[in-house]
Amino acid sequence: MSGTDQTPEDGVTRDDPMIAAEWALGLLEGEELLAARGKYATDPDFAWRKEWWDGWFAPLSDAMQGAEPGEHVWNGIAARVTAAQEAAGAPAGDAAAGSNVVALEARVRLWQRVAGLSSVAAAALLAWVALTPSQGPVAPPAQIAAAAPMVATVPIGETGLRLDVTYIPESERMVVAAIGLTPDGVHDHELWLVPADGTPLQSLGVVEPGAVRSMTLPAAVVAKLGDGASLVLTREPIGGKPHGKDAGPVVAKGAFSRV
Amino acid sequence: MAARPRPSSDEAREALRDAMARLAAGDQAALEEIYRATRVKLFGITLRILGDRKEAEDALQDVYVNLWQRADRYDPTRASPIAWLAAFARNRAIDRLRTGKVRAGAVGIEEAAPLPDENPLADVLLVDAEQTAQIHKCLGALDARTQSHIRAAFFEGYTYAQLAEAADVPLGTMKSWIRRGLQRLRACLEASEAA
Repeated sequence: MSGTDQTPEDGVTRDDPMIAAEWALGLLEGEELLAARGKYATDPDFAWRKEWWDGWFAPLSDAMQGAEPGEHVWNGIAARVTAAQEAAGAPAGDAAAGSNVVALEARVRLWQRVAGLSSVAAAALLAWVALTPSQGPVAPPAQIAAAAPMVATVPIGETGLRLDVTYIPESERMVVAAIGLTPDGVHDHELWLVPADGTPLQSLGVVEPGAVRSMTLPAAVVAKLGDGASLVLTREPIGGKPHGKDAGPVVAKGAFSRV
Repeated sequence: MAARPRPSSDEAREALRDAMARLAAGDQAALEEIYRATRVKLFGITLRILGDRKEAEDALQDVYVNLWQRADRYDPTRASPIAWLAAFARNRAIDRLRTGKVRAGAVGIEEAAPLPDENPLADVLLVDAEQTAQIHKCLGALDARTQSHIRAAFFEGYTYAQLAEAADVPLGTMKSWIRRGLQRLRACLEASEAA
């Protein structure tokens, strides 16, 4: 699959509502799917539109013929629910507040079992795990924080355009979505990590306009990607900051937060 | 199970909405009620998308376990419960397809398990009739080719690449067709909401 749609010959703007429609229909895959999930978790407008499409498409499923699952399916569900409760040490019905961690871990284990996951698929699933914001009365425990993707939004001036950056700790992968941006033919834009500890900026590379790109981060960058880390985008000559020269002007910035 | 009178569509929907609310409040018994009422419809969906009984059953388990874990995700003020569950089940099945383990494909008639005589609620738990009519109307307003590709994406879980291959057209062409279709579909649906 290509993550790029840089040469739209069809005159259709591939804006967020369009991407939400493509996702609801099930057309997205790979990095675009991952990016959409990240956006769902952080962008209420996008999440609303995805659910809007889901709601409209749902009646089509009435045309799918019903089928009776095997008897063992319910037993499996009941067993997993019971196991999750026992692991939580909580009586039935007390699942809302304290067992988020257990539920989450159970889901992660399940997904690890379900598929011989490639790292991209695993990252996508982990992003999915963290999609639903915790609504419990307690702060998310540390285990959740350790597994949760970090998401940053970098708005580009007053254009309404933005970069969506998602980092999945387990996979050491980062996804940079620059959908809607177009190259001006004169400049490139380079993304930089600003560590919270005041150490020098780390380049995350040149942003590819209109594309969703994922990359595996080097350990030196991962080490700086903690809470409070932020991002800046600089305007550079084509190809990025020339070696030995200062970086260009900062044109946008954003901070990471955990989903 | 003994045969029982079938509830009307409205009653079935309200009973399901009530069970979803109780599940969100921590009543675990509500999960079995929801399962009994919706399993045939939701299994039909996961089976259609995944094309493999075992995978579809695994997906179905995921749907209900997930529902139990996060019943609070359903907002009773927004969506009909069966529409929401249908979308949820289809999304989970598509998730499985996209992890790359399962091949997409339609289910052969012989693979689909026979329905029980009781056919529990499968015939009454339909999504809101008005909404159903509207999406069919808006889809029907698209040209036949675009319509068939959008339907194939929905019913078979095909990606752009698979649709392009099946139609023997370049990927970009297929994307154009479908995006134009989705744009018109959105305009039509929004117009119906405003009316």
